[in-house]
Amino acid sequence: MDMLKITGLYKHFGDKEVLKGLDLTVPEGSIFGFIGKNGAGKTTTMKTVLGLLKADSGEIEVAGERVVYGQTATNRYIGYLPDVPEFYSFMNASEYLAFCGEITGMDRAEIAARSSELLELVGLQNEKHRIRGFSRGMKQRLGIAQALLNRPRLLICDEPTSALDPVGRKEILDILLAVRKQTTVLFSTHILSDVERICTDVALLGEGNISIEGKLSDIKTGYRRDEYTILTESRSDSEILCDTFSGITCDDQGILHFSESSHAHVEILRFICDRNISILKIERTEPTLESLFMEVIDK
Amino acid sequence: MSNLAAFIRKEVTEHIRSGKITILVVIFIILGIMNPAIAKLTPWLLETMADTLAESGMTVTEVTVSALDSWVQFFKNLPMGLIAFILFESNSFSKEYQSGTLVLSLTKGLKRHTVVTAKAIVISTLWSALYWLSFGITYAYNAYFWDNGIAQSLLFSVVCGWLIGVFAVALAVFFSTVAKSNTGVLMGIGTIFVLSYILSVIPKLNEYLPTRLLDGNSLIYGKSSPKDYAAALILTLAVIVVSFIASIPIFNKKQL
Ligand SMILES: Nc1ncnc2c1ncn2[C@@H]1O[C@H](COP(=O)(O)OP(=O)(O)OP(=O)(O)O)[C@@H](O)[C@H]1O
Ligand SMILES: [Mg+2]
Repeated sequence: MDMLKITGLYKHFGDKEVLKGLDLTVPEGSIFGFIGKNGAGKTTTMKTVLGLLKADSGEIEVAGERVVYGQTATNRYIGYLPDVPEFYSFMNASEYLAFCGEITGMDRAEIAARSSELLELVGLQNEKHRIRGFSRGMKQRLGIAQALLNRPRLLICDEPTSALDPVGRKEILDILLAVRKQTTVLFSTHILSDVERICTDVALLGEGNISIEGKLSDIKTGYRRDEYTILTESRSDSEILCDTFSGITCDDQGILHFSESSHAHVEILRFICDRNISILKIERTEPTLESLFMEVIDK
Repeated sequence: MSNLAAFIRKEVTEHIRSGKITILVVIFIILGIMNPAIAKLTPWLLETMADTLAESGMTVTEVTVSALDSWVQFFKNLPMGLIAFILFESNSFSKEYQSGTLVLSLTKGLKRHTVVTAKAIVISTLWSALYWLSFGITYAYNAYFWDNGIAQSLLFSVVCGWLIGVFAVALAVFFSTVAKSNTGVLMGIGTIFVLSYILSVIPKLNEYLPTRLLDGNSLIYGKSSPKDYAAALILTLAVIVVSFIASIPIFNKKQL
């Protein structure tokens, strides 16, 4: 089943078209990486899903139920961590969780049990100070704890790792990985290594719509362009190769690049054997998400 | 119901921990004491100034003050207390809009009308408590020094004063759901009051305007009777009810 389904979503601010017919499907049980550069419209999309922004047109369904703007009933399925979470700073972490539990109608015993479990998970169990004095990393963790409090079926995190140092980032990613068994996770980011680390599914938000979407593994194989690099012993040999095969390019370090689509690699190997060209290295390169996305964005 | 209680509890905790309640209580105690104190000090003040006044040709005859003078002070200081109260409370919503704290509560499934209801309850209860505290202090001193009995329709006149505060609270809630900033809220309330003052120049209209309720003096001196205030009272009550009710659908559609 699909936890979240967005079809034909349009949203503009003033004369600026931010979302132009965005379609997105988040399967249940996935960790879904929602990638896009600054200003692409990630936050806008998420806020629309939460009924905090009114869409110009388009349909959004959460757990098969339609999302309406304003008083949004589907939010009971969702745990949300905004990009800059703001809490009542006069409370401490467990008071805040208790407040959250009460407004969602959890009973006292359940709140106490769940709070301590979550504070433990995010590593705030010994923090007794008021939220006023929390660092951004601590706020981010408390944000995840409050989002998970009423066992949401869908956890939406808006750039949960952006403001954090590498250690903090790893910890947040580990938490997201750990909650995967309990909930579907949708998180936005512009850090591709985070996505490669934990996501099962990804979508890239380009010019107001999704340019690639699917299982991370499928995308990686599907877009594998079979790139090769060759390093010859002598510079003159690489020039010969460049001249003979139009699809081969030579970079500053004298390394040759080509892809299977322009020349079959066996053809080139045969040429190398025939000419007795001695080579230092020949390698088939794995595409990184980054190279893949750069390619898509460039198109 | 329990989420309403939870949000009210949050509001109260916030008031206590931020020290807002303490400051407001102090202000209203001072106002309550000031009314009889000023009345009590008037003869003494005039006496000390008698020589200066005599030089300029005025003779000071024996001045006697009564509870009435203290109540006159009460109604004179009422706008001051009300303004202080509104300045303290008008940012109740806008503060949350600016910091984004409501977003988390609402995306947890808290009903929007619960937020409006809780804030309206807390602010009007606080106003009532402070107002009657101030009234109680003045009343007690007056009873000790003089006799409250000479003030006519006293209860009615102070209820009018209390109601004008509830009116201001209702406007604060209403404008908070319309405007985004605290300035917007204050301007909204200010505009309504100024308008009411300006229109009260027209005698025919004066009878209906909420600001009429601030004129407790005519009542306690017996120059006018409660039934002259009926129209203003009904209109004010109507505005209060309409403001509270209208703010809920507006808030439901508000972009946060
Ligand atoms: N309330 C608003 N009023 C006007 N323009 C807005 C508003 N919110 C967003 N925008 C515009 O919409 C575009 C998308 O913004 P959005 O915050 O969704 O991007 P994002 O992908 O979350 O970026 P980031 O990675 O920086 O968080 C931006 O160009 C922004 O200027
Ligand atoms: Mg954003």
